[in-house]
Amino acid sequence: MSSHNGTRQFVRLTLNQRIQHAIMFISTILLTITGFMLQADQGFIDLFGSYAEDVFEMRSLIHRIAGVAISAVCAYHLYYIFTTEEGKSWAVDMIPRGRDGTDLVQNMKFMMGLRKDRPKLARFFYMEKVEYWSVYIGMFLVISTGVIMWTEWIWPVFFLDVSGAFHLGEATLAAAAIIVGHLFSVHYSPHVYPMNRAFIDGMIGEDLMKDEHGEWYEEVLEKEKAHTENSDRRHFSSDRRMSSPDE
Amino acid sequence: MKGALTVTLKISTLLFLYSLAASTYAEVEGMCNMCHKYPGFGIIEKKTDEQSHDRLRLFYINDDLFSASYHGKIRCFSCHTDVDKIPHNDLEPVDCGTDCHILEPSVNEQFSHKSIVDDLRKSAHGAEGSRHEDKGDLPVCKDCHTNKTYHLDVAQKDANISLAVCEECHVSKGFVKYFYEHIGYRIEKRRNSKEVVALCSTCHADQELMDKHDLHAVSGFSSTFHAKAISYGDEKVANCLNCHAPYEEGFSPHRIMSWKDNASPVSIKNKLQTCSQSDCHKGANNSFATVSKIHQAPDMAELLTIAKNRLLSIADPAAEVIEAAEAEKEANKAAGEDGTTDETSDGAAEDTVEMNTPFIDPVFHALVVYGINLFYKVIIALILGFFIFHRCLDLYSTMRNPHHEES
Repeated sequence: MSSHNGTRQFVRLTLNQRIQHAIMFISTILLTITGFMLQADQGFIDLFGSYAEDVFEMRSLIHRIAGVAISAVCAYHLYYIFTTEEGKSWAVDMIPRGRDGTDLVQNMKFMMGLRKDRPKLARFFYMEKVEYWSVYIGMFLVISTGVIMWTEWIWPVFFLDVSGAFHLGEATLAAAAIIVGHLFSVHYSPHVYPMNRAFIDGMIGEDLMKDEHGEWYEEVLEKEKAHTENSDRRHFSSDRRMSSPDE
Repeated sequence: MKGALTVTLKISTLLFLYSLAASTYAEVEGMCNMCHKYPGFGIIEKKTDEQSHDRLRLFYINDDLFSASYHGKIRCFSCHTDVDKIPHNDLEPVDCGTDCHILEPSVNEQFSHKSIVDDLRKSAHGAEGSRHEDKGDLPVCKDCHTNKTYHLDVAQKDANISLAVCEECHVSKGFVKYFYEHIGYRIEKRRNSKEVVALCSTCHADQELMDKHDLHAVSGFSSTFHAKAISYGDEKVANCLNCHAPYEEGFSPHRIMSWKDNASPVSIKNKLQTCSQSDCHKGANNSFATVSKIHQAPDMAELLTIAKNRLLSIADPAAEVIEAAEAEKEANKAAGEDGTTDETSDGAAEDTVEMNTPFIDPVFHALVVYGINLFYKVIIALILGFFIFHRCLDLYSTMRNPHHEES
């Protein structure tokens, strides 16, 4: 089914969040390509022919520009979650809780056919929380080691080698996790084939909302109901077709 | 009439044979082309104890290529001084320090490579400078100077305007072209970094040869950033010679020294200056330069073996290298403290002490890096394994409940 199936659409990602995501994924793609070019073997390098030297120079420049961009968006995200209502709501909903463990067990049972229904998952379920907080650890490591390698002339080689090992290891882990864990689960998944369009228009369809975020769906409806009752009391009627969880 | 013709032919034949016989055993100068102009002119050297297979040696000289080469203006006998008869089978190898029969134009004296040959002899690659007793494998001039037809490369470039300017004053076009190519080729790099690395690796990456000379084969270089940049054709990054014999810092490949020699650009004393030379690591500090090893020796695998042996309390010969390096650092440090170094007057002794302090045990270094790599291998396998498992279950549940998905 499509990520937008259903009679109603809900706001999954705001414009601000989508811009952060866009800068993040464009930078990540560029960083991954230009970073792994340093691990390429001679056969791949030879494909560039006489342009190889220019390609290498551009590689270095693009890697640094994308590194700065992703660092900036990370810094902004910290500012965003501490200072804006939207950001605070996001961060609070991302905080791991005991229920995530139960969700994991129940969801696995459901997927194995040992349980009839999928558990009602919150706005962010365990997998999304793992991915989100992994980005904090990953970003801390790659940015700090990247800065060390960028200022190589002031560090002993021990720190440079350790930084290089962490930078490469974390980048490999991130790239693999994004491809297997994020890209295939969130985008190229039978639930949302061919992709979850939330990262483009920010919306999620009612069907997917119910299936993957049952608890959140009910919370939104509760809020909406309360909001409608308040509006009725103020003789205000609305035929809204969309709801935002952050309202 | 017929008798006169017969007599003439006989006399001619005798004169020809006489002249051939005379040239064969006496003056052969100027006759090199008589034989060496033929493509395919050569011999097959039969295999010997030292040579595992038959070898074809071609002696053909292409006149055009030779005259366009570095030595194109030099006569054969200037270098092949012991050729005095035809055939000449048992010639000594050419001595590049021989005086050439041309004048060095800046001082108008006979030109020679003698000073460079002397430098090479005293260098780590030479019979005098090499610390190892076996001098048989030391490189000779021809091992590095493969004598390509350099001048033709330059001639292919668009040099017409420059040549036209020179020809305004200098009458001989041949001289102008030769001089232009001579200077022009030296302005450009004669070998790119890839070729330099390949050339040095011919010997220094040969494990067997290095073992024979008690040296460590260069094994870690290929995994460095320098090597990767070179493999992309980056000419700004340092190749072997930029560190071991930088012309910019007054060194020369002909005077290359062991890193253990205090005068070497890669000695602990000079590393900082070498790393921070122009266009490289400007602003590099002591901790970066003095403990940096672009190609670690012993390499990572050897270090891990040493670590394993240390844990098992087994003596390892490779550990001697580390112990020797540590002993040398201690000696340098002690010398600096005693004020016995020759730079005490300008405070360099203090630097020497400082340079030796941030030393990290290479075995510990290797273990930490190995540990990080291993950690990531394990963690990546575990995380991806979980993701893939979760994904497979998700697909399984979707296949099991297609109607649920379609709803």
